[in-house]
Amino acid sequence: MAEGEEQQAAPAPGEADGAPGSPPPPAASAAASGATPPKPAAAKPPRPAREAEPKEAPRVAPPPGSINETLAAAVPGVAMRAYLVPALAGESVAVEVAPADVPAVMTAARDDPRLALTYLRCLSGVDWQDEGLEVVYHLASFDTGQQLTLKTRVTYADPVVPSVASIFPAADWHEREARDMFGIVFEGHPNLVPILLPDDMTDHFPLRKDNPLQEIDEWQGENLREGAGEGDE
Amino acid sequence: MVVEQDAPEIVDIPINMGPQHPSTHGVFRMVLVVSGEQVLDVTPHIGYMHRGGEKLMETMDFRQGIGYADRTEYLAQFSAELAYCLAVERLMDIEVPERAQYIRVILTELNRLSSHFMFMGAFGIDSGLFGTSFTYAFREREYIQDVFEEVSGDRLMYAYFRVGGLAWEVTDNFVERVHEVLKSSAQGIQDLDDLLTRNEIFVARCQNIGAFTAQQAIANGLSGPLLRASGVPWDLRKDEPYSVYDRFKFEVPVGHYGDVYDRYLVRLEEMRQSIKIIEQALEQLPPEGPIVPEKMPRRLRTPPGEVYAKVEAPRGEWGVYLVSKGGDKPYRLKMRSPSFCNLSALREMTIGQYLADAVMILGSMDIVLCCVDR
Repeated sequence: MAEGEEQQAAPAPGEADGAPGSPPPPAASAAASGATPPKPAAAKPPRPAREAEPKEAPRVAPPPGSINETLAAAVPGVAMRAYLVPALAGESVAVEVAPADVPAVMTAARDDPRLALTYLRCLSGVDWQDEGLEVVYHLASFDTGQQLTLKTRVTYADPVVPSVASIFPAADWHEREARDMFGIVFEGHPNLVPILLPDDMTDHFPLRKDNPLQEIDEWQGENLREGAGEGDE
Repeated sequence: MVVEQDAPEIVDIPINMGPQHPSTHGVFRMVLVVSGEQVLDVTPHIGYMHRGGEKLMETMDFRQGIGYADRTEYLAQFSAELAYCLAVERLMDIEVPERAQYIRVILTELNRLSSHFMFMGAFGIDSGLFGTSFTYAFREREYIQDVFEEVSGDRLMYAYFRVGGLAWEVTDNFVERVHEVLKSSAQGIQDLDDLLTRNEIFVARCQNIGAFTAQQAIANGLSGPLLRASGVPWDLRKDEPYSVYDRFKFEVPVGHYGDVYDRYLVRLEEMRQSIKIIEQALEQLPPEGPIVPEKMPRRLRTPPGEVYAKVEAPRGEWGVYLVSKGGDKPYRLKMRSPSFCNLSALREMTIGQYLADAVMILGSMDIVLCCVDR
C-alpha cells in the first residue's frame, strides 16, 4: 500500500525537526570562540519540507453490492452518503444520514432480514469543531456477519438527535454518556440524566474540543535531553 | 365483640447499596426499591471512578496511550492493550511479526485465565462461600501473575505490548514457565469445579436467577460470557478473528438458560479452552525471530482516518474507536468497555428478582468499575 511507504519515510523530516533549541554542532562552536558567533544555520542543509500529510481521510465509495445498497433499498427516500472505513480485517462501510432519519434507518437495519443488524456494538460522540458534533453507531449482525457504521452530524447550536434507546436498549447508557461528554441531546430518551458526571454537571461538556486540559509540562522527549527521541529506543 | 384491625400498610422501601459495599466489586451504588423481598426497581449509579480517560488519551501519543489502557481494565490488561495496539497498527498499516503475535496471544489468554480466576474467587464470596473459593482462585492467579511480572516487570500495569509488537523479548525460560503455570492452572480449575459446580448451596443460589433470553441479551448489547450463556455462540476470536486466533482449534462454550449458573459454567469451560489455545500457541511459537517490524517508524504517526478495533476480552467485547486527524495523537478515542455495556442491563435483569439475588446477578456480570467509568 502506497500510504504505508509514506509512513516509513515520514520520520526523516521529524529528526531534523527536533533540532531547534539544541546548541549548534561542536565544529561551529569551536569556530565561534570570537566575539560574534557566526550563525551555524549556513552550515546546516536546508530542512526538507515535511511531506504533505493528507488532512482528511480519503472518501472511497463502497464497491457495488455493498451493504449500503441494501440499506438504501430498505429505507427508500433517505439521503445517504456511503464510504469505506478501515476495519480490523479489510474495510467496512460507513453511511452518513441526517439526524432526523436515524430512527427509521436504525429500525430498518434491525428488522430487515437482509441486514439483521440486531447488535449495537458501540455509540460514540465525536467533536469535529467547525463541522459540528457527530454521533457514530457501530452495528453488527450475528446472523449475517455484516457490519455497518452509521453516522450523523448535528450543529453546536442545535445538538439534537432522536434517541434510539427504544429501538436498541443497548443505546440507553451510551446516549447518556454522549450527552455528558458532548452535550448531544437525545430526544425521546427515557432518562437523559448524567451518568458518569455528577448529577449537577449539565452545562459543561468535558470531551468537547473547546475544553482543553490544563497545560502540562513535557517531561519526556525533547526536554529530557538533547536529541532524545531521535535515536533508537 | 369484633376487633377491627386495619390492614397493614404495604410500602415500597428504597434500599441504598454502595458505593462502599463489599459485594459491588468496587465503587458502585445502586438504589433498589423493594416490596418485601422482591425488587421492584433498580437505579444504578456509576461514575465514581470516572477519570476522564478518553480525554487524557487524546493528549497522549500512541506510545503513552498503552499505559492508560492497562489502568482502565486492570484485570484484563493485555486485552485492553491489544485492542489499542490493533487499532493503531491498522491505521498505520503495520504488519506485526509472527513471534510477537504468538506471544501476545499466549499472554492475553493467560490473562483471561487470571481474570476468570478472579471471577471465580469473588463470585464464591458473593454466593456465601466466604474465603474458600477465593483462596483457591487467588493461589492460581498469583502463579500466572508471576509469569507476567517476569515478562513485563510489573505485577499489574504491564504496558508490555507496543504498536508493532512487543516492548522486549520474553525471558529465556518463558515457554517452560508457561507450561508449569498451565499445569497448576488446570489443577486449579478442577479444584474450583469440584468445589463449586455441584455444591448444593451454590447451585441453589445460582440457578434460575437473572435469566436473559438470547434476544434480550443481543438487544441489551451484552457481550462475552453473558451473551454466550444466553445461547448466542458469538466469540470474536472465532467469528471475527484478529491476531493469529484463526490458527487455533477451540470450542466456544454456550449456555442454555442464560441464568447466573450458566454464566459461571461458561466461564469455567472458557478457562479450559484458553489452556488449549495457549498449548497450541506454545507449540506453534517460532523459537526466534523479530518482535517488532524491521522497518518501524521512530515516531508513530497515523494518517487521518478511523477504525473500530475489537477484541474478545474476558468480560466481552473490548472495543477501541480511534479517530485520527493525522499526527501522533488520537483525535478521539472511545473505549467500548464490556463492563459498561453489560452493566447497563442490570436493571432489566434484576427487576422481579429477590433482593439477595441482586448481589448474585451483579457478581455474575464480573464488572470492573474502573473499566465501567473510564
